Amino acid sequence: MEPRENTVVKTIPGEKPSGGSEDSLLPKIKRSHPAWRSLRRFARYTAVRVFTLFCTVAVGIYLAILIANMGGYVDTIVEGTIREAVGSQAANNRAVLLMSREDRQAWIEDKVNAQLASRGMNRPFIIRSFEHLLGALTLDLGRAQFLSSDSGSKEVKRIILERLPITMVLFTTGSVVVFFLALLGALFLSRRYGSTLDRIVVAMAPTSTAPAWFYGIFLILIFASILKILPFGGMLGSSIPKTPLMYALTVLKHMILPLSAWVISRIFLAIYTWRTFFLIHSEEDYVELAKAKGLRNNSLERRYILRPTLPAVITAFTFILITSWQGAIVTETVFGWPGLGSLYYQAINAFDTPVIIGTVVIFAYLLALTVFFLDIVYALIDPRVKLGKEGAQ
Amino acid sequence: MAEKLLQVRDLYLYFRTMKGVVQAVDGIDLDMNRDDALAVIGESGCGKTSFIRAILRLLPRNVDTYKGSVVLLDTDIMKLSDERFRTHVRWQQMSMVAQAAMNALNPVLKVGDQVSEPLVVHRRIPKKQALAQAAEVFRMVGVPADFLDRYSFELSGGMRQRAILAMALITQPDLVILDEPTSALDMLTQANIMNVLKGIKRDLQQSFIFITHDVSTTSELADRGVVMYAGHIVEISSAEQFFLNPFHPYSQKLMASVPTLKVRKDLEFIPGRPPTLINPPQGCRFAPRCERRFDLCEQEPPLFALEDGRQVKCWLYK
Amino acid sequence: MRRLKSLFMTLGKYPTSIIALVIIMVLLTVSIVTVITIPYSEARRLWSTSSQAWEDYPKRAEPVWTNWFRGGGSKLPPTIIRSTKDVEPLSVESLGSAGVAKETITEIVFDFPYRVHPSELGLTFDAVFETSAPFARITWITPDGREYQVYDSAIYKRRHSLSSDQPLQRALGTFPLLGLFSSPDETLRELSYETATTPQQGTYTLRVLARTFEAESTLDVKLIVYGRVSGIAGTDHMRRGLIIGLLWGTPIALMFGLLAAVGSTMVTFIIAAIGVWFGGWVDSVIQRITEVNLMLPLLPILVMLGIFYTPNIITILGVVILLNIFSTAIKTYRALFMQVKNSPYIEAARAYGAGGFRIIFRYMIPKVAPILIPAFVTLTPGYVFLEAALAFLGVGDISLPTWGKILNNANTEGALFQGQFYWVLEPAFMLLITGLAFAMLGFALDRIFNPRLRGI
Repeated sequence: MEPRENTVVKTIPGEKPSGGSEDSLLPKIKRSHPAWRSLRRFARYTAVRVFTLFCTVAVGIYLAILIANMGGYVDTIVEGTIREAVGSQAANNRAVLLMSREDRQAWIEDKVNAQLASRGMNRPFIIRSFEHLLGALTLDLGRAQFLSSDSGSKEVKRIILERLPITMVLFTTGSVVVFFLALLGALFLSRRYGSTLDRIVVAMAPTSTAPAWFYGIFLILIFASILKILPFGGMLGSSIPKTPLMYALTVLKHMILPLSAWVISRIFLAIYTWRTFFLIHSEEDYVELAKAKGLRNNSLERRYILRPTLPAVITAFTFILITSWQGAIVTETVFGWPGLGSLYYQAINAFDTPVIIGTVVIFAYLLALTVFFLDIVYALIDPRVKLGKEGAQ
Repeated sequence: MAEKLLQVRDLYLYFRTMKGVVQAVDGIDLDMNRDDALAVIGESGCGKTSFIRAILRLLPRNVDTYKGSVVLLDTDIMKLSDERFRTHVRWQQMSMVAQAAMNALNPVLKVGDQVSEPLVVHRRIPKKQALAQAAEVFRMVGVPADFLDRYSFELSGGMRQRAILAMALITQPDLVILDEPTSALDMLTQANIMNVLKGIKRDLQQSFIFITHDVSTTSELADRGVVMYAGHIVEISSAEQFFLNPFHPYSQKLMASVPTLKVRKDLEFIPGRPPTLINPPQGCRFAPRCERRFDLCEQEPPLFALEDGRQVKCWLYK
Repeated sequence: MRRLKSLFMTLGKYPTSIIALVIIMVLLTVSIVTVITIPYSEARRLWSTSSQAWEDYPKRAEPVWTNWFRGGGSKLPPTIIRSTKDVEPLSVESLGSAGVAKETITEIVFDFPYRVHPSELGLTFDAVFETSAPFARITWITPDGREYQVYDSAIYKRRHSLSSDQPLQRALGTFPLLGLFSSPDETLRELSYETATTPQQGTYTLRVLARTFEAESTLDVKLIVYGRVSGIAGTDHMRRGLIIGLLWGTPIALMFGLLAAVGSTMVTFIIAAIGVWFGGWVDSVIQRITEVNLMLPLLPILVMLGIFYTPNIITILGVVILLNIFSTAIKTYRALFMQVKNSPYIEAARAYGAGGFRIIFRYMIPKVAPILIPAFVTLTPGYVFLEAALAFLGVGDISLPTWGKILNNANTEGALFQGQFYWVLEPAFMLLITGLAFAMLGFALDRIFNPRLRGI
């Protein structure tokens, strides 16, 4: 495992190569040893994690595909819709009406099959599910049946890619804002335990049981319906802005209410959780000792409270991110925000299977990526993991 | 140069708990000279740790009363603001070696960074130089210099204790306070650490206060001993006086409970339990467990100063 | 019992938890009373859109108590109903030679002291006959004595709307509501909803001239002056009193929330215990399943389920529990069980030969179980809001009267646009106090049961 002492000897310009005295060999290897060791461990750890996660992602996405298609049920619905459409086509077509019964049936079947074939639905579901899986893993999500993107494309990937950034703009901003506000607030409060402000925040923590869409309704009520100073929803309003600056401003204006709803619904619990966490953590022996050493409050907080708890903080942040993708559907619907969530809702109402599957797959992917990101960050910042110590997690 | 290092007068520290106010430090007077190693002895719950915290101003959130005077060299540090205390007293004049070294080091920072930190913070010494000084102190306490680059979980218990000791010494404070420095260690390591401490005391003329419940180890290091019971100091004497001939009934019982190598004796123990520090009883607090109590003991005795320099808080020595 | 009492006393130290307990007690009482007084089948009947139960109620009416906040001039009128059944006829004449036909003239009156128009005006005919339908000529008499003929024909349907009667509108020259309530100095043709016209206050009379042609034939006419306030909670676009939805939403929300919270937590708990005890591949499998489950997005799946299958609420509950069993809480419980597993009395149990399941269920689980109590309470509001979210999106159990469904109706009917705030605020309020109550109680319980939080 560890390189033996007389194998690799790097020649550093100006120094004697192998064959010199013990003294000159030993320091060189000693210098590269710990860094090399930790890098290898880290790489191995990452590789194992990537592989495990990849398998998990594959299984998760396949399940999502099965569920998204309800085990073939959605196909039945779609086929039913097609049959209906073709049936009414037939009823309005004089030539067909004049056909004999068998001919008419044949004509209808032909048309239905043609439609099914064009949607790739004439093969058994199991096979298609694996095709979907392969496509999902390589991000080839097929073509939509009914919906299309703003640019007119029917590629599911394009449709989703169009909406994804819109969702992220809102929800990622929201999560980041809450995260940092909460950390700052919590650090501030943990130094002022028992003060009035502290008690108020603790008392307000339960307000976070209500989700963002709930507060959203109230905000719309107050600011759009009664005060009429902010828009009811949507992202761009009725007229398309001409300049990029106007575009940005309009988006920002439409973002105010959803973002506020998001922040309000999470901030108090977040501050409370971190503040309690930091308070508990401040009782650690090394924090006490650091205080005894006479460190300034900023240093103390940064090095002795935040640094050691960073893994837990990051975990919680990623968890918040994960749940944020979920809440997107309702919140976007309430605010008419044209992101992934409302796309999903539209797709379901239109029974557009590829889009449904594609969106669920993207949701699953986002969750998987978040978990993966978390693992990597964990490994990076916790030296116990970096150096391969067991039981560090 | 002042003879007296520390003068504590009327020190009180009470805590608020769910069950009532705990009178942990209940009026302590104490003098300490330079170059002395002072041992504070007592069983768990007698208030010795609280006493240390009162001196070091390491207070928890639920403090009820905190008053008195603590004159370190020639300044009453109780009167200093928190900020001034931080910049002038903490680790400059007084440092601490924590109990249970298991968790005393930050797990995500390198040991060297933590040990050199006081120099960087208080003396504004650049990091490289500070690390060099840390290596020096490491050498003094017997830790190899490459441990500077390690993390705390890579060190054994004994190494960790030494690292923490090094951290306490690096600023050469006037007073180092050690809270049960050897309790968490096995016997061999205990002996090692004791030797290190003796060496430092001898070579650096460092003043120590150390808290212990282990009477035998203190005998090696202490110049003077202070016995605490239920929030009060009950005996102050020189080490010799204490180990050979303790005066206070409690001290006598303590010494009687220590096994000795050469003299055969029956080990004694003290029946009963120390009183609760919430609403402690009137009168001498040891009286309920004392075989030699009499009627005067219903009143709390003062700390009598005897001719040989001892102080004993017992009516027997009036 | 003693432990319960000491628990309550400890809870008493946290004032917010007292308020929370009171609210929860109130909600539980409301649930029980509602379920008893309005049985489930009755509630569904009342809530279904095809029910006739609400035909005399106005659409989108505000709650009655909102008038308390309005000054005299802007008070909204309630619904006024008068029937000829309750009044003695003015005259009864025989018609024709057979002596069977009768002409009855009845007058019904009502006071209208309001300065805001009613929302609608309607007539309900209660006609009894075998072959020949009765005939009615109905005259509207304003307080100042003007007469307008509003109905003049045989009875051919049960309900007749005066306010949307097109011929009447043409005859009057303006909307019937405006015209029939106009003041004498107003020109009918100029009346419109844009100009601020106030209805004439005073006593209005409806003269009903009814002709019946059979011996046993009768005709009763009911006048419904639909108001703009109705009931404790107002009405929705289908005239349904929102109070039904609010009342019945309570037991449904509580049941869903509590069952989901308790069900999923308990199963998660047991699985964590099993995983810890058997260790090895069992534990690994559980970990893997948890990771996969973490990537399945809950809400999208539920939405799909809701739209494709229109399931009932029990099925939804089942799926929710199923998808929440392998949650991240498993890690927390696992850590706790690990600690317990290595404790001496577990070793003693193994020594005397206790089997795995016995140890799990008799020793490990009871020891760690107290931690579940705050979890049950804290998780409940999340599930309550989940059910509301599903109903809001229209994918829940659509025939159930729940708070989320009311919000869904309000949203699709543009309540916020039209200023019908009560429609949104009432279910929102119920959701809010339910969520807050459980959350506050859960926080207090957490501080009691979680040893690390003591003293903070």
